[in-house]
Amino acid sequence: MNSSINVCIVDDDDIYRFTMIKTLRSLKLTNKIKVFSDGEEALDFMLDNLHNDKELPDVIFLDIDMPIMDGFEFMEEYVKLKPKLGKKITIYMVSSSVDPVDIDRAKKISEITDYIIKPITQDQLTYIIQEFVGDGGI
Amino acid sequence: MYKNASELREQYNKIFIEQAPTAIAMLDKDMRYIAVSQRWIRDYKMEGKEIIGRSHYDIFPEIGEQWKLNHQKCLNGAIDICEEAPFKRADGTIQWIYWDVRPWYVAEGEIGGLLMHTGDITPQKEREKERNRMLDILDKTSEVARLGIWEVDLKTNGVYWSPVVCEIHGVTENFRPSLSTALNFYKEGASRNVMQKSLEKAITLGLPYDVEVELVTAKGKTIWVRTVGNGEFEEGECVRLYGIFQDISHRKFSEMALNKANAEIKAIFNSKTIAIITTNDKGVINHFNYGAEYLLGYSASEIIGTKVPSVFTLMEEVERFRKDMSQKYGMDPLKGLAENNDFDIREWTYIRKDGTKITVQVTISAIKNADGEIIGSLSVASDITATKKAENELLRKNQVLNFAERLTMIGNWQWNTITDQVSWSANLYKIFGLDAGQQELTYDTYFSFVHPEDKELVTNHVQMAIKEKSFPDLIHRIQLRDGTVKNIQLLAEIMTNDIGEVIELIGSCQDITEQRMAEKKFRGLLESAPDAMVITDEQGRINMINRQAEKLFGYSVQELTGKPMAKLIPDDVIAANSEDSKAFLFNSQIGELGEGKELVGIKKSGRPIPIQISRSPLKTEEGVLVSTAIRDISAQKASERKILEAKESLEIFSKKLVTKNKQLADFNQITSHNLRAPVSNLNSLLGFYKHAQSDGERNDLFQKFETVINHLTLTLNTLVEALNIKKDNEVDTLEEIEFNSVMVKTQEILSGEIMRTGAVIESDFTKLPKIAYNKIYLESIFLNLVGNALKYRSTVRVPKIYVTSGIANGKKYLKVSDNGQGINLKRHGHKLFGLNKVFHRHPDAKGIGLFLTKMQVEAYGGSISAKSEVNVGTTFNINFN
Repeated sequence: MNSSINVCIVDDDDIYRFTMIKTLRSLKLTNKIKVFSDGEEALDFMLDNLHNDKELPDVIFLDIDMPIMDGFEFMEEYVKLKPKLGKKITIYMVSSSVDPVDIDRAKKISEITDYIIKPITQDQLTYIIQEFVGDGGI
Repeated sequence: MYKNASELREQYNKIFIEQAPTAIAMLDKDMRYIAVSQRWIRDYKMEGKEIIGRSHYDIFPEIGEQWKLNHQKCLNGAIDICEEAPFKRADGTIQWIYWDVRPWYVAEGEIGGLLMHTGDITPQKEREKERNRMLDILDKTSEVARLGIWEVDLKTNGVYWSPVVCEIHGVTENFRPSLSTALNFYKEGASRNVMQKSLEKAITLGLPYDVEVELVTAKGKTIWVRTVGNGEFEEGECVRLYGIFQDISHRKFSEMALNKANAEIKAIFNSKTIAIITTNDKGVINHFNYGAEYLLGYSASEIIGTKVPSVFTLMEEVERFRKDMSQKYGMDPLKGLAENNDFDIREWTYIRKDGTKITVQVTISAIKNADGEIIGSLSVASDITATKKAENELLRKNQVLNFAERLTMIGNWQWNTITDQVSWSANLYKIFGLDAGQQELTYDTYFSFVHPEDKELVTNHVQMAIKEKSFPDLIHRIQLRDGTVKNIQLLAEIMTNDIGEVIELIGSCQDITEQRMAEKKFRGLLESAPDAMVITDEQGRINMINRQAEKLFGYSVQELTGKPMAKLIPDDVIAANSEDSKAFLFNSQIGELGEGKELVGIKKSGRPIPIQISRSPLKTEEGVLVSTAIRDISAQKASERKILEAKESLEIFSKKLVTKNKQLADFNQITSHNLRAPVSNLNSLLGFYKHAQSDGERNDLFQKFETVINHLTLTLNTLVEALNIKKDNEVDTLEEIEFNSVMVKTQEILSGEIMRTGAVIESDFTKLPKIAYNKIYLESIFLNLVGNALKYRSTVRVPKIYVTSGIANGKKYLKVSDNGQGINLKRHGHKLFGLNKVFHRHPDAKGIGLFLTKMQVEAYGGSISAKSEVNVGTTFNINFN
């Protein structure tokens, strides 16, 4: 099944990005995948498409450790941006860091749905997308 | 014929001797009588005795050996003559004789025997003795009566004075005066004139005289003499004057004294200071003198004729007087006084006419006539009210003094050094444990109390004081009879006479035993204090110090007493005697040790010592004293320093620990991010690889593997390098490095980039040309910072890089400034020096350079920080340790 949800991957690690895209595609979960190598790039895109619900992602897989603007910095900007957005966006923080400091910090941000430690498994990915599809009733 | 001739001559001689009117005897060589004169027989009472042919010694057995010896000498030619000698006869009587014993010669040179010519002079001797005895008696008598006799022979003008006369004149017995010199002994004036007239009358008219005149003796003494004289006339002419002479001075003088006393008594009787009241035998007042009038205010006419006891006496005193007298004599007062030739002296209270009472001292005695019968009484009174008042005052003062002395344990004394008479006040007796007036006092009395160990001290002191005429205060011990030892303090004043000789010492003596005890206690307290104690007076002069203070400062007590406190503590407020010190004295409370600032004390050796002081005022009789406790805090200081050092090293250690912690955190970060990320990638790739369905896919995946592995390798290498930095953190890797040489080397390495970008690099290391550092690290730091400046240069500006070194706030620093892109530090500051952190989308940005630079700086305790403004430039500042 190929859902129509927009998935967005924000990560500077191109190998990770490759594995994510390959997994999403091989599981036929979605074809609408956008990738950004840092927070700033992702933010810029969203600012450009504030009211363009078609382009705006439904799900964001956000890395913490990135150049220019890391995941937390992106979240700070996103919180400011959120009221202007016409679309509900679900954000998963995905990091290789097992540092509890990072995990706690992420959990304190209500806009973050969950914190996922890399590598993200196929089952996890499937579950997230299917749940989303089910929820959305699409 | 010859024999006949000599026999004949002998015969003649015998006849001549026998007929001689004097006592002569002729003896042969054997002292046998040949012939004696009639007188001899008579003189020696030998009438009727046959003596011719008998030995002289048989006749006079009483002749002694001495005489016999003389006779033998005469038989050998000597002549023995004696004027008079007592001859004690066998019957015990004394016969006074004279003799002439000589030899007679048978022929020329041949002695036939002795001729003795003697005379009995006993009767003359007796008479002479009788006369002498008479004279002796006369002399003695006249001597006793001071009676002398004199005689003037007017024909020869010779004057004879008996020994007494000579003595009275004060001349020796052999003095022979003339009439005129005798006359000149009489006192010039009346006496001499009287004498002259008396003598003239005696000589010319034959009138005897008997006068009492004054005479000045040869020794200059004026005496009274009585001289009686008479003339002896021959054929109507005076040829001789004679008379007696007597020293009557004694009588004369007593007579005169009596006259004087009479006059005085009269004066007294008439004086107004003494009241004299007499009564007759009936007790009726018959004399009331002017003094009595003055004393009592009654006139004589008012009182005379009244009976005693009079209006001016108190009855109770009269009663007491009567009682006392009857107790004393067992009879009527007047009778008792009269019979015992006694008088009564006592104080009476008299009442004046105006009613006021006065105290008088009255002497009452009985008046007797020549037969001893009482004919009245005599009262002599003098007003002693003033005296009494003064006496009372004196008594009161004395009591006060005694009381004061008792309170203060002071006694006073006087010592007359001439007579060695000493008097003590009552309290002094008490101090010495004696009953007042118990004994005759001399210096030795006092000295006997002086403690045996102090005797020498006292003797020396007293001797010195008398010599110097000044008596410094003396404290010494005395030992009482019961063994008690006391400490006394002597103060004395030395009195001298007009010629500066010491005659008297007066002074006081205080029992300071308790004071001493208190002092000892205080001293004990002072000595037991664990700190050095210095007692100073208001002027900051040192009064007393304890042993600790001696030990602390190295001075002896003597060296410090009286010296200013500043000698010990130059910066001390008290020592400075400033207003502060006064304020302290009057305001301060007892301070705690260690309160206030720390000071520096100066030892005798000049060495400074850190001290802490605390002080408190001591209010004493001598004023406010200040006790200062001084504590040597050298040891404290030393340990404080040690603690500080330890603290510092602990701080350094904890800093290091913090650094280590930070590094550990860094590593944690590195392992959780930088290592886990590629590992998770590898896992993902591996999953794909397993399910890969074509070789082409597998090849693609292999390329991905390679990328991840390369990344992992770089990360691991960086970590290893960083670990090495931490391991290399050793002092022995340090060397002196010139910044300039490192700069040059850096520019050489980056020369390509510099040329390509046209960067302008300037440096100034004049303020700090060199630093001790690990050379590889310093080169790496330069390369990273300068390299970054070039790498993140502005795209619109020609890169300008400025490298400088120096010292700020005591720390060596290195600064690298550029005019490049800058970093948003607000956003990235916290991860600026993190591993693999990149802030620019630069193809070569790997996030390794600053990470390593930081490691290399922190390895030697330094720190690195950055200031940056986006699109203006960045300055990295390294502070070396």
